[in-house]
Amino acid sequence: MKKIVAAGLVILMISCNKDVVERTIPAFEPVSLDTAGGSWKTVHLSGSAEIPVTAPESVNSGTYKAELDQIVSLQASVSAADNRLVSQWKNSGVIRWNEVARELVASYNLPPKANPDGTYPVPSAANPGAIPKFPFANPPYASRAYAYLHTAIYDALVTVWANKFKYKRMSPARNDSRIRALETIQEGLPSYPSEDAAVAQVSFRMLKVLFPNDTVMLKEMADGQKRAKLLSGAASPTDIAAGEAIANAVAEKALARLRTDGMGQAVGNPNIWAALEAGAVAKGNNTPWKSMETPARPMMLSQFGNVKLWRMSTAQRDSLRPPPPPYPGSEQFKKELAEVQSIKREGNSREWQIALYWADGAGTYTPPGHWNEIASAKFASEKLNELRIARAYSLLNMAMSDAAICCWDTKAYYFTARPSQIDPSIKTIGLPNFPAYTSGHSTFSAAASVVLGYLFPASSANYEAMAKEASESRIYGGIHFRADCEVGLRCGTAIGGFSVKFGRNDGSN
Amino acid sequence: MRSSLHNFKRLLAVALALCAALPSRSQTPNDGFTMSKGEICLVAGYGQARWDQYWEGTLLRENPNLGTFNSRMIMPMLGYGLSDKLNLFASLPHIANSSTAGQMSGKKGWQDLSIDAKYKLVKKKNKAGTFYTFLAAGFSLPATNYAPDHLPFSIGLGAKTLSGRVIVHYEHKSHLFATIQTGYIMRSKITVDRQSYYNEGQVNSNVMPVPNVWDGAVRLGFNNKRLRVDVHYNWMLSTSGSDIRWNDMPYPFNRMNAQTVGIQGLLWIPGVKGLAIHGNVDQVVNGRNVGKAMIWGTAIQYVFNPFKKEKKS
Repeated sequence: MKKIVAAGLVILMISCNKDVVERTIPAFEPVSLDTAGGSWKTVHLSGSAEIPVTAPESVNSGTYKAELDQIVSLQASVSAADNRLVSQWKNSGVIRWNEVARELVASYNLPPKANPDGTYPVPSAANPGAIPKFPFANPPYASRAYAYLHTAIYDALVTVWANKFKYKRMSPARNDSRIRALETIQEGLPSYPSEDAAVAQVSFRMLKVLFPNDTVMLKEMADGQKRAKLLSGAASPTDIAAGEAIANAVAEKALARLRTDGMGQAVGNPNIWAALEAGAVAKGNNTPWKSMETPARPMMLSQFGNVKLWRMSTAQRDSLRPPPPPYPGSEQFKKELAEVQSIKREGNSREWQIALYWADGAGTYTPPGHWNEIASAKFASEKLNELRIARAYSLLNMAMSDAAICCWDTKAYYFTARPSQIDPSIKTIGLPNFPAYTSGHSTFSAAASVVLGYLFPASSANYEAMAKEASESRIYGGIHFRADCEVGLRCGTAIGGFSVKFGRNDGSN
Repeated sequence: MRSSLHNFKRLLAVALALCAALPSRSQTPNDGFTMSKGEICLVAGYGQARWDQYWEGTLLRENPNLGTFNSRMIMPMLGYGLSDKLNLFASLPHIANSSTAGQMSGKKGWQDLSIDAKYKLVKKKNKAGTFYTFLAAGFSLPATNYAPDHLPFSIGLGAKTLSGRVIVHYEHKSHLFATIQTGYIMRSKITVDRQSYYNEGQVNSNVMPVPNVWDGAVRLGFNNKRLRVDVHYNWMLSTSGSDIRWNDMPYPFNRMNAQTVGIQGLLWIPGVKGLAIHGNVDQVVNGRNVGKAMIWGTAIQYVFNPFKKEKKS
């Protein structure tokens, strides 16, 4: 009885508290400076020299002294809110903006409801607040959003680094003994231009186009990061202004690409959808994909395979397009169908738990988001500097965005059925509304694991195992055949290789 | 008047939820009737909850990709009169959830083991009738490792619970009775397989908060040696939690509220001492993040006292 009462009291205590402790990225001081980082090969720019940055005023100038005086007076009356701001931004800003992007994706990753006439509305970038709100941040959209954000951050930071070590103007806290460093400022890292201001501004500029309904929130965040650095003695007003200017120049360039990359045509239209089905039949697919939803929903982003690639040409995409999968009726197909049928899904099992672990379905940050989170923790544990973190995210997300494009190209090309279309008795973890071959999870995960394995060779076997598990989770979930998964892994591995090749030759090694 | 666990309302609470599987601390020992010392009550019940509309937040909607949701429950229960004042109860439902449309896998299995105690605090008798006050408390734990994060098909919410309840009961000499009861159910956080989720903002954790619940019921009925019938109104209000997002799936952290009305009856079988059949029908009339369920249940119960040598009456 006493035990029961004690157990009851424990439950009482834990159930009163509904707070959830989240995984957080620990504070760390980067281990390297990468003084030559300004020479690294950029994605959108021809190189850091493309954006001219004027020399800062000398530390002895009256203008700079006035800046320092301003910080001294700010520090004389730091409010509790200011302290929170400093604390909020003292860790990696690049990782923080990756988290913001993941949250936005999860917030917008909900499929539109059907119209009364059985058609489906398409979210409109021109009228983003109307229902259904823009965007529908499904996995292809998300992969593209992460890639634009992080390639732009990367280019901005390469340019920042070039000018930091060109002009070598240190932080206000270093230059003026009256100014306290309210956060750890990396030893030897110049402050002009401010890396934080560049990251804040370029993230704001990119994300407000990708998630226009959240412009106000994004602006507040970016302003908060800049103010935090001013308060903490890490950056002066002209350090910040120089960072912003670089960010704006990079954003213009990246956004010009974004506006013309083919995303606007990715949804397709009824003629295109019909042609996809007919094309697949002509290629020998005897059971083309049908939407299992009621009312039938067109394939998600049927033309996403034509979106502009990051590290590959369309010819390379086509050459990587795999041979046809086993079609219904073949012996191999029967075997693979039997495998999906053999998994019990009405109870709980190791397979079901794996399927849930990697599901990353509607309402989540998507599989690319999951890999970004895995990567973020690694970047912190390896104590990478902001530039290296930016480079790593950029390589990772270009690979996953290319993976999405190639995978969607293959899906639209072969237009194959999901297991439950063949055998309606197969019930699932939640059925994606697009063709099966090849598996998006598998392609994303292999591409991600190849890039992370390149960046962190000691962990590469681990990443490979995770990718394999993510891939097989889709068979466990009842939504993919083994061929979808295994071929997806192979394609993803090859696609990730293009990003790795860029990394090997970007001058950072 | 004997015993009992006639109350099959756990099924109701279970079936209320969108998942048809709220862990349902409510109301096993929530009625105004008791077992005598040494009495054992065995109950075998079966019930169903069905709905084809649910509240997405406060919006009542249909979902052609779900069709009609169906929850079936087998409910064994055991009651024991530790004394004339203190009764103990144990139960462990088996639940099977499925739907008529869509692609989501149904789920089935043994849900939560519940242990409850009911204590008769006050009994006052006068010419007109008898007035009782009971205190009840209980806890529950998942009996298996079922996955709570596959709503609405999950068979339960996976939380450990602890509940307290007050029951006020009045029985008039005319055999009419009235019961008012209310309770509070505390529910632990749960660990799920997914590594992050969206709950009014991104949460990077595999721990989900499950809301506590304030619930209760008012019932009016008739009770004699042969028959008991009542009409009742039940409420269940989560004290925290978020709404299901626009066109999203439900999650264990949703604010699940429901109001139901229903009838139930218990008939003692003539000629077999201690044997009774039970039935109830309930309808959810208003709710939030739950299915608009019609629920029915039936049970057979047998009350006996193995410790007492009784003379034949």
